[in-house]
Amino acid sequence: MPFTDIAVAVQISFTYFTVFYLTGLGGLFSERSGIVNIGLEGLMIVGTVTGAFGVRFFTDTVGLGSVWGPILGLLFGALCGAIFAGVHAVATITFRVDHIVSGVVINLVAIGLARFLSSAFFNGQSTQSDPGGPHLARLDIPGLSALPGGLDRAFEGLSPMVIVAALMVIPVWYSLNRLRWGLRLRSCGENPEATRSLGVSVPLYRYQGVLLSGAFAGLSGAFLAAEIIGNWREGQTLGLGFIALAALIISNWNPIRLMFFAWLFGFAFAIPLRLQDAPVISLLPEQFIRMIPYIVTIVAIAGFVGRVRPPAAAGRAYEGAGGS
Amino acid sequence: MSAQGMASPITVPRARPAWLESFVGQLLALLASFGIALLIGSLLILAYGENPIEVYRSIFDASLGSADGLGYVFAIATPLIFSALAVSVCFKGGMFNIGVEGQYLVAMIAAAVAELNLDFLPGFLLVPAVLLAAMFGGMIWAAIPAVLKVKRGAHEVVTTIMLNAIALSLVGWALNGPLKYNDAPEGAFVDLRSNVFPDKGLVGDLGSVFGVTPGAHLSWLVFLAIAAAIIVWFLIRRTRLGYEARAVGSSPGSAKAGGVSIGSTQIRLFLISGALAGLIGMQQILADRGYLPLNYVPLLGFLGIGVAFLGQNNPIGIIFAAILWGILSRGEVALQISSQVPREFIIILQGVLILTVVIIYQIARRRLAARQLQQAGMAGELGDSDAPEESAGPRGPEDTGAEALEPVEEKRI
Amino acid sequence: MTGGDGAGGSATPPLVVLEHITKRFPGVLANDEVDLELRAGEVHALIGENGAGKSTLMRVLYGMYPADGGRIVVRGQEVRISSPRDAIANGIGMVHQHFVLVDPFTVTENIILGEEGGERLDMDAAQQRVAELAESYAFRVDPGAVVEELSVGEEQRVEILKALYRGVEILILDEPTAVLTPSETTDLFGNLRKLREAGRTIVFISHKLDEVMEIADRITVLRRGRVVGETRPSETSKATLAEMMVGRPVLFRLDKPSVEIGEPVLKVEDLTGEGKLNGVSLEVRAGEILGVAGVEGNGQRELAESLIGLRTPESGTIELEGAAIGGRPVFDIRNAGVGYIPEDRHEQGLVLTMSLWENSVLGRQDDTDFSGSLGVLYIRKIKDLAARLVKLFDIRARSVDVTASTLSGGNQQKLILARELETDPKLLIAAQPTRGLDVGAIEFVWKEILDQKAAGRGVLLISAELDEIYALSDRIVTLFEGKITGEFPPDAPPEQVGIGMLGRAPQEAA
Repeated sequence: MPFTDIAVAVQISFTYFTVFYLTGLGGLFSERSGIVNIGLEGLMIVGTVTGAFGVRFFTDTVGLGSVWGPILGLLFGALCGAIFAGVHAVATITFRVDHIVSGVVINLVAIGLARFLSSAFFNGQSTQSDPGGPHLARLDIPGLSALPGGLDRAFEGLSPMVIVAALMVIPVWYSLNRLRWGLRLRSCGENPEATRSLGVSVPLYRYQGVLLSGAFAGLSGAFLAAEIIGNWREGQTLGLGFIALAALIISNWNPIRLMFFAWLFGFAFAIPLRLQDAPVISLLPEQFIRMIPYIVTIVAIAGFVGRVRPPAAAGRAYEGAGGS
Repeated sequence: MSAQGMASPITVPRARPAWLESFVGQLLALLASFGIALLIGSLLILAYGENPIEVYRSIFDASLGSADGLGYVFAIATPLIFSALAVSVCFKGGMFNIGVEGQYLVAMIAAAVAELNLDFLPGFLLVPAVLLAAMFGGMIWAAIPAVLKVKRGAHEVVTTIMLNAIALSLVGWALNGPLKYNDAPEGAFVDLRSNVFPDKGLVGDLGSVFGVTPGAHLSWLVFLAIAAAIIVWFLIRRTRLGYEARAVGSSPGSAKAGGVSIGSTQIRLFLISGALAGLIGMQQILADRGYLPLNYVPLLGFLGIGVAFLGQNNPIGIIFAAILWGILSRGEVALQISSQVPREFIIILQGVLILTVVIIYQIARRRLAARQLQQAGMAGELGDSDAPEESAGPRGPEDTGAEALEPVEEKRI
Repeated sequence: MTGGDGAGGSATPPLVVLEHITKRFPGVLANDEVDLELRAGEVHALIGENGAGKSTLMRVLYGMYPADGGRIVVRGQEVRISSPRDAIANGIGMVHQHFVLVDPFTVTENIILGEEGGERLDMDAAQQRVAELAESYAFRVDPGAVVEELSVGEEQRVEILKALYRGVEILILDEPTAVLTPSETTDLFGNLRKLREAGRTIVFISHKLDEVMEIADRITVLRRGRVVGETRPSETSKATLAEMMVGRPVLFRLDKPSVEIGEPVLKVEDLTGEGKLNGVSLEVRAGEILGVAGVEGNGQRELAESLIGLRTPESGTIELEGAAIGGRPVFDIRNAGVGYIPEDRHEQGLVLTMSLWENSVLGRQDDTDFSGSLGVLYIRKIKDLAARLVKLFDIRARSVDVTASTLSGGNQQKLILARELETDPKLLIAAQPTRGLDVGAIEFVWKEILDQKAAGRGVLLISAELDEIYALSDRIVTLFEGKITGEFPPDAPPEQVGIGMLGRAPQEAA
């Protein structure tokens, strides 16, 4: 089958796309409201440990079965992400702490918190949980999974969450552009003074933005741990949260563009996993192949910046040591 | 030009110098935040059914109760001081060097290469050469995001984080390849590492001088760290580069209009930062292990950011913050031995501490700014004060003139 | 033309009464028992110099500051206004000097924000409503346009429409004409008259006496937080008003020293760049002050920045005493003998978080007097410099260690001036040098600029205040849309200069 390798790589890329897109959407809501959130990685970490616990808990302990168990487990991860994001929200919105500082603290604390929760959830194991946790049944996309030449592999065996993630673009776009809520949220990010002068509460909308970012990032982490890897392990987020942030920046904070870049970076990750034997790539040492996605990100960021325009209030924070 | 604001002359209270105001204030803020963090921590301890006072006592006992404990504390603090200094140097210039982690890794590779290839040098030359190699390695890794930022406008937060991940893979490659050990006896199972460094290339144990167990691996690098802090302080406060850095970090437009080259300043700061980051790993590989291990201590770069903010980005504050961090870290041991509370409690406590410090400092600084403005208002003139008249937009009722300072104050570290 | 013809006769009961309003800030008594009455269907001008308290008073009325004393009575009932929302609920709206518009949003989105009328946005219906509102007051505006692309005059219309959309009866305008061209000002006055006819009340905060005399029905003068008089245009004159504002006869002219004008210090030819400069050519000679008049937004900022090196022009030449400096780095240009008083002293002048003494050496820290070869700063010497500047320029500060942000605007400007003049530059670029300063500080700055002329230096003065241009310049040029549109002698009638500011050459004036 000539295209099997590529097809499987594409399949893997869909998985990573889900992670990047969900996390990126989280970042989107936060930053469009004016709060820079580089703690996405930390929020994902919280999602991984709580999600891994949640799916097991709801499936086995509560006995909800293999459909509702994983679903509630994933939602549990999202909820915990949102709660943890509350810390970032309180720090940056109520106490006006520098956004980047708070984000870094979130990342640091998340690591310790994850170990803490892990030893509580998983019988004292502080760096991983038992493998083989429950997950949602895999789908094949009708029609596309009958393609010849090995291409069908790209569309088989996908987690339903991939579809969910892809469909997210619709409610996200609609709420931002067609709802009063979205208009107000965006104005908080573009010009909080103008927003305030019209009687709209800027903190209210920013809190919502940040909590949503926690929910999405938590969901993404839960997905990673529960659906893809099958258990929780320390460090499994691998900097993916930061790559999602980079994808968000390059896509100019646009949910539709983000789909493309989330997938593109996803594919970059699939390369070391599946395409190690491809023509040029196989010449590189193994560890260098693993560097590819990160190098791709740097090249993309270095190439695209100057042509992206952050939400004005968030942009000030990106310029360093400041923020509103 | 006369214009007195009030009818009668106002006696201005004898002015206290600004630094004192802020020093006392800062000290109070530090104590307050420490107290709050401990309080929050006790909630967690209570959840485990233990007595917070007992737990805290055992923590502090482990770190402060013996010479050994103190030895460990300073050994832990040493790399953190370098790390936090690296972060703070960039921050003064308005930039975030989150790539300290990667710079630390690359520097260790460079140091290992130097150790193993310059071993013909006598000890008193080898060690400085290795240190220089490490600093150089860190500088190179810091130069990449710096140049990308200045030439292409690439934001350093993303590029440095990517470079951190790349550095991680780089170490793996180096230890699996060119630096892989070949000095172990046949058949012996050894954790992946480089060759062991020559004895003369190691840093001597300081512990024996103070009655500290050699297990703490306290070395004279701690003096180097303190010296580095003093040098950084001097650099920031008393040199042209520090002056220009602060101007660029606070008000790039004014700096530029004054002839300062922003790009050149930023690059120089990143290089200095990288050099400092390069020294992070020296405690580990020159005093502790004696080789470059695959299982090096992770996250020292990130922790440096935490320590930097704990010390309010001030070199002297950083020394104290690192020691405080070391005290808490050492306390982990106590928890393992004598408590049900998991050791991860410590890092949560440390994280909470950073947050409370940053928040409380923010509040304290704004109060100070309001008071400064008030004193200035009394000694100044009525009429063309910027604060009430020229504010650019609506202000809430609780905002006084201090609000006009706010965007400025947020940058002041 | 004096006086408006509004219906604000004494028989009409007041719509809003401010009684004994007092407002304090740390160290400043901004409003001292101020009484003010506003009637329906009038344009009421509130005048005073910078810092007199007029903006503060209106912000109290608009709910942005709580008053420390006094009360507000609207339509006979005492009301508590503790936020702009309250003010709007009472029919009071305000348009600030610095607009608060969301740039990437459309006109309609900006207007309906906060009053969207439902969770689902129906932008078409909203645009329709906005279009109708604009038409009813003869406002020309495109509801679908993105604010970022509007001219300043159009933005102002959007701000006014924002208030009208919420049904306000009283509209406060804070220095509305500061950013308008003369023709936009005419348009605005037309709109204001229409609003007055419809029974609305306009509060017109300004320090431009010509305009006040033209449009106002009644005028209230504030000085140092107190009302010093209330009158009508028909009963007063510009000179009287000015004297009331300042408390003493105001000199509209200082004595210009007579100096022999020498060779050109600055020669600019065909400077073009970034759409804002379209071929500027001018010349400043030694001992001469060249005044560049024009409404802001016509390339003044770009011109100043190109001359000091903050911008690189796309084409054209800049020569300082014959040496080309266009496109060179700021450092080199400064060393060649150029001083710069920026129009924004916070963005391009001082580093506010640094102390006074640190700011006094900005630009000269490389000097061997102030730092050594290894980079060590000679702090003692820098502080001596700072102390000398403080004394020479009468900068009011507790010590040279105070943070620059605690200095008042006037003192900040003096610090910048002192620092720049200390190097004895051959050419001084002064962009809006007295913006936001009170009369005493203005006189001080003017005197320093004239001293430069007396010393045989060249000064390029860029200002939107015609008073300033006339007071200082030996020659006047007008800048419009990035080109020099006219050159005038210092005694040219203002109408002619105004025409140049509009873009037409004087001979073409009807």
